[in-house]
Parts: sequence; C-alpha cells; structure tokens
Amino acid sequence: MDLLDLIDLSQSLIDGVLFGTIYSLIGIGFTLIFGVMHKINLSYAAASIGAAYLSLMLVALAPAPVVYAGAALLGGVLGWLIYLICFRFLPINNPLATLMSTVGMLLAIEELISHLTLGMPQNYPALFASTNIEIGAFFLRGDLLFVFVLGCLAMVALTLLLKRTRLGLATRAVAQQPVAAQLCGMSVNATNAGTFVIAGLLGGTAGAMAGAAIGVLSPLMTLPLTVKGLVVTVIGGLGSIPGAIVAGLIVGGVENLFQFMRGVSERDIYVMLMLFAFLVFRPGGLFAAPGGRD
Amino acid sequence: MLCSLTRSHLFSRALPAAAVLALALPTAALAQDKTFKIYGFGAKSGVVGIFGQQSEAAMQAAAAIINRAGGVTLGDGTKARLVIEYLDDRCNAEEGINALRRIASQNDAVVAIGPTCSNVAEPVFGILQKKAGDTSDSGIQFPLYTDVAAKGGLASLSQWAFRNVPSEANMYKSIFEWVKATRPELKTFWGGVEKDFAHSNATFGVIKTQAEANSLQVLGQSEWLLNDTNFSNQVREMKRANADVVAISAHPFTTCGVLKEMARQNVKPKLMVGLTSSSSMETLQGCAAQAEGLIIPTSFAPVNEEAKKAAAAVQAVNAKYNMDLHNAAAFENIFTLKELVEKQKVMGRPDTVQADRQKMREALASMKETKGLLGKVGRTDDREAIKPFLFVQAKAGNWIVAHTPKQ
Repeated sequence: MDLLDLIDLSQSLIDGVLFGTIYSLIGIGFTLIFGVMHKINLSYAAASIGAAYLSLMLVALAPAPVVYAGAALLGGVLGWLIYLICFRFLPINNPLATLMSTVGMLLAIEELISHLTLGMPQNYPALFASTNIEIGAFFLRGDLLFVFVLGCLAMVALTLLLKRTRLGLATRAVAQQPVAAQLCGMSVNATNAGTFVIAGLLGGTAGAMAGAAIGVLSPLMTLPLTVKGLVVTVIGGLGSIPGAIVAGLIVGGVENLFQFMRGVSERDIYVMLMLFAFLVFRPGGLFAAPGGRD
Repeated sequence: MLCSLTRSHLFSRALPAAAVLALALPTAALAQDKTFKIYGFGAKSGVVGIFGQQSEAAMQAAAAIINRAGGVTLGDGTKARLVIEYLDDRCNAEEGINALRRIASQNDAVVAIGPTCSNVAEPVFGILQKKAGDTSDSGIQFPLYTDVAAKGGLASLSQWAFRNVPSEANMYKSIFEWVKATRPELKTFWGGVEKDFAHSNATFGVIKTQAEANSLQVLGQSEWLLNDTNFSNQVREMKRANADVVAISAHPFTTCGVLKEMARQNVKPKLMVGLTSSSSMETLQGCAAQAEGLIIPTSFAPVNEEAKKAAAAVQAVNAKYNMDLHNAAAFENIFTLKELVEKQKVMGRPDTVQADRQKMREALASMKETKGLLGKVGRTDDREAIKPFLFVQAKAGNWIVAHTPKQ
C-alpha cells in the first residue's frame, strides 16, 4: 500500500463516518421506539424518506433550512399517523401484529412515493454542496460536515429532551415500567404517541439530511436505510441512544472502508459479518453490560 | 282522413322499417363492440415502475390512434376495437413468469408486448418453447414482442421471443467511432458501472469493448449498486485516473448520484457518455446541471413529424408521461402487430386462439423490416431489431440531438 492508497483509505473512513450520521439518526428512531414500546417500527426509514419527499413542496417557496425544518415537522406528523395506523389499535401483546403492520406500511410508503413521483429521482436542496474543506491531502465535503453537525445537534437535543423535560421523564418511565407509570397518572398512549412524534421529527431530519447528502431523493433509498438502521440499532444495543449514535458512525465508516478495500460487491458482507459478530459475542450491543441483555 | 292516412302510412312503411332496423341494430352494435386484445406486461409499480407505466401509456396512445381510424380488421372481415391490457411484474422475475402464464391462459390472448426489465425477460424467454414446433419441448407457445428489456441477445433464447429494442452494440460502436473521428485528442477512458442491474452491467461490457476498439486506453472502472447513495470512493478513483472520457453505465438514480459527486470532487472529464436508459427526463429531473454535456445514444427523439405526433399522443393519454426510447418501441410494436393481425387474417376468437398465436409467431418471424418512428427498422435472423439511432446531449435541461450517424 503506497501513500496515495493510505490517504484514500483514510479519506474513505472519514467520508463513511460523516455519512454514518444519517445511519445514526435512523438508528436512534428505531431504538427510541423500541426502548419505549419494545416494538420495531420497520416503516421508520421509509417514513423518514417520505417526510423528505413531502418537504419538496416547500422547495419552490423557501430556502433549504426551512425545507429541512419542514421535513422534520412532516416526519413528526407521519410518525404520529404511523402510530395510529400500525400500533395504537393493534393487539400490543402480539409481537407479529405490529411487525407486519409496519412492514406493510414500509411497502405502502415506498409504493406511494414510486407512484406519485413515477419513480423519478427528485433533486433535493443541499447546503454547502460546493464547499469543500481541504486539510493537506484530505478533503472534507461541506455538505456532509453540515449533515454531521446537524445530526449531532439533533442527537443532543433528543438527549436533553429525554433527560430534562417532563415528556422525556414520562417517556423513560413508560419505557421502564408502563404499569407503574400509568398508576402514577401518565397516559401510556399519549406518551407512546409522543415518542413516535419525536422519533418522526428526528426521522424527518434524517430523511432531509440523506437527501441533502446525496442531492437526490429516490424510493430506492427506503430499503437500504431500513436495513442499515436496523443493523445500527442492533450493534448499538436495542434501546440505547448513545449506542445508536456510535454504531451509526461505525457502520458508515466500516461500510466505506470495506468498499475501498474489497469492492462494492463484497462491502455488505463485512457489515453483516460485523452484525453477526455482535449478535454472537455482544448481543446487547455496544453499550450493554458484558453479560448482555436478559 | 289525415289521421287515418298517417296511421296507414305508419303501419305500411315505418313498422317494417323499424323491424328491419331492430334486427340490424344488434349486429351493428356487436361489430362496434367487438374487441381484439393486445396484452402487455412489465414493471408498473416499484422503483422502476416508470418503464411499465410509460409503455402502457404508449400502447394506449397507439391503440387510440388505430381505433379512431376504424380499429383492426380480423380474419373474418369484421372490424374490432383494439384493447390494451397491461399486467404488472414489478421488475421481478417470478412475477414476470406469473404474468406470462396468466396471459397465456387467456382465450383472447394472441400476442403480448413485454417485459420491461432484462432480469425478467431472461427467465420469461426461458420458459417459452425454445424451438417452435418441437413437440418434445413443453415450453409455453406464446409470441412475445419485447419493447424495453435491452440486454443484448435475449431473443435467441426462444423462437417465440421477438424484440424491438435497439442494438446497444451498434450504438456504442458508432458513438466511439464518432468520438475517435471528431475528438482525436481524447486518449483515455474510465468506466462507471451499476454492477447489480443486468442491463447496466451487460451494456458496460459493450461500452468498454467499443472504447478499446476505438483506440481509447481503458484506465479502469468504478462499480456501485443500484440503490447506493454514497459514491465518494468511486469518484475518487475516477479523479485519480483523470481520464479524458468517462462512461457511466447506470440508471438515472445512481447516474445522478455519481454526477453530483463528480461535481463535488471537481472531476471534469472532457467527454461523458451515458447508458441508453438514462436518455430520459428522469436524469434531467434529477441532475440537469451536473449532466450538462452528457452524450447518450438513443433510438428515439422527437426529431420528425411522426415522432413529434407520437410523443404528443402519449402525453394526450396522460400528461405526466413522456415518450422515450423504451416506450417508443411499445408504440411502434402496436402498429406492427396490427398490420400482422390483418395480414395473417387472425380470427381473434376463443376457438382459434392457438392457431392465431401460431400465425402471429410466423408473421413476426417472417418480418424483414418494420416501420419505426425514426425510420425503417431492420430485423435480424435471431429475431432482434436493427433500429435507427442518434446521439443526444444534455444541454440546459433538455436533450438535444448532438449527431445523427449514417446507418
């Protein structure tokens, strides 16, 4: 490996980690809902991309930051709708019911996008798309840095919301002891709905950031983001927000690194091997106690 | 008196006339209601659903023109209204096979157009009878006249398979010969390929071969997958190679992703060549600015009156659809099939369906030339088309004709 290869390898790692912010945001959404309801919402990534698509209605009217904010808000609305359709009235004790309803929702959202846009890629506004920071031989994409910073801010905001607000307290209480929380006067349904809205806000941001980083939205993005989001959730530890953040960055970095070293056709094999390794040796994820989850 | 005369007149003239009319009416109505169905199948939903939707729109547009002119004349001399029924295979091989089986089981199905995806066409052609008339082969005996699936040489899989898709080998041979003649300063080549899509991957082999054959030194290639979103590694390889010509064999979503990444990393080759399927509005909708200058060979552009009318007819069916090289073939196929139905005296009745299918296969096999929107379309012995083509270039958000090669 010569110096140029070494530089390229490091650059791949940097790009991957920066892009991994999007995986982190998606992973947080999965983990947040799992943490509170112990359910997986498989339509989460599709709804995130759906929110970004809906925010396209603002592109002609407002600058990019407003479009991103719109995507976040619309993500919140979609999150609430998904809660109502796929969770609220379904038998909560049957784990397959919500799993299948969210799979259905994932396919429905993807198909809806395909039909409404005829599957055509849609331009999505990017901030700092032409700004590149060169540090020696390295090159940092301005738009990815922006995505990284915004993603970090969103994660900090979420952490503060969960730790410092009454809603956050209720969310944590319902996650830990739903019956006790209910006995203390908290509405489990309202808290669950609130969690979906918060996760949706984050998902809308993730969808917008994915669109901004790629520059284009396509229904092709929904399934890969769903898979990566789930991988991140498992590696980070189901229910662990710091775990999802770190795992997202790791998955992004590892994915790009192996693409550089082994090519595109082998890239995903290594990401999946990493997932299996975690499932076998550390089933509770990155931030679990060494003994793993019970 | 007047009253009685009128009554008498009524009974003597009008009633017999009414009776004759009453007897004649059902026959006339029957003739008007008689239909002849052409089936289509392809991806109408899913992420490449645009292919099937546009093909169906083009088939409907062609059928509407034919019906306005009186419909199709069947073997018994009656006129029938042409009806299109299009099935969705979601660009999935299993669903494509199911669609074909379903069509072949209908007693009004004589011929079908489709499928749209090469990864569906390959197995679908595989379940057709390989050699017509081979009694030891239990494969499906049903004629298909494919419009979109473009991977080279597929019709050779069965004598029941016919295609009206352009020969990409000819197109890319021509484009690189033109590049060699007009841009002799271009010496090096870098390729980009969407590795997991049958058409893109197969066509990249053609592009690379033709680039080499026309004195371009191939420096290497970058690979990605159909639903990839991050192209930084691939474009960095491209940047390092600094080739004069970059060819991207990918569909619009990743073509746009790569072009945007090229713009970010300031990769500006002297010439960019794209995949035939990207010469559509999808590419311009996704990345018009970054695609500026991209040259693609295509078998359709609205460059003559007939092509313009056909494009307008598709828009009349549904304003959201456009005519491109893929659905232009579907449009042409309907007119060709109408001619063949009339020439072969296809009856279009349930009791003649097997004989009608055989007639259609024989008619398709005997074609030496068909009429295309850009001119005459030649036929090869292995049931493929030799379509006229031209080179289009992305300029200011539009595809303009860059060159029309002599053919």
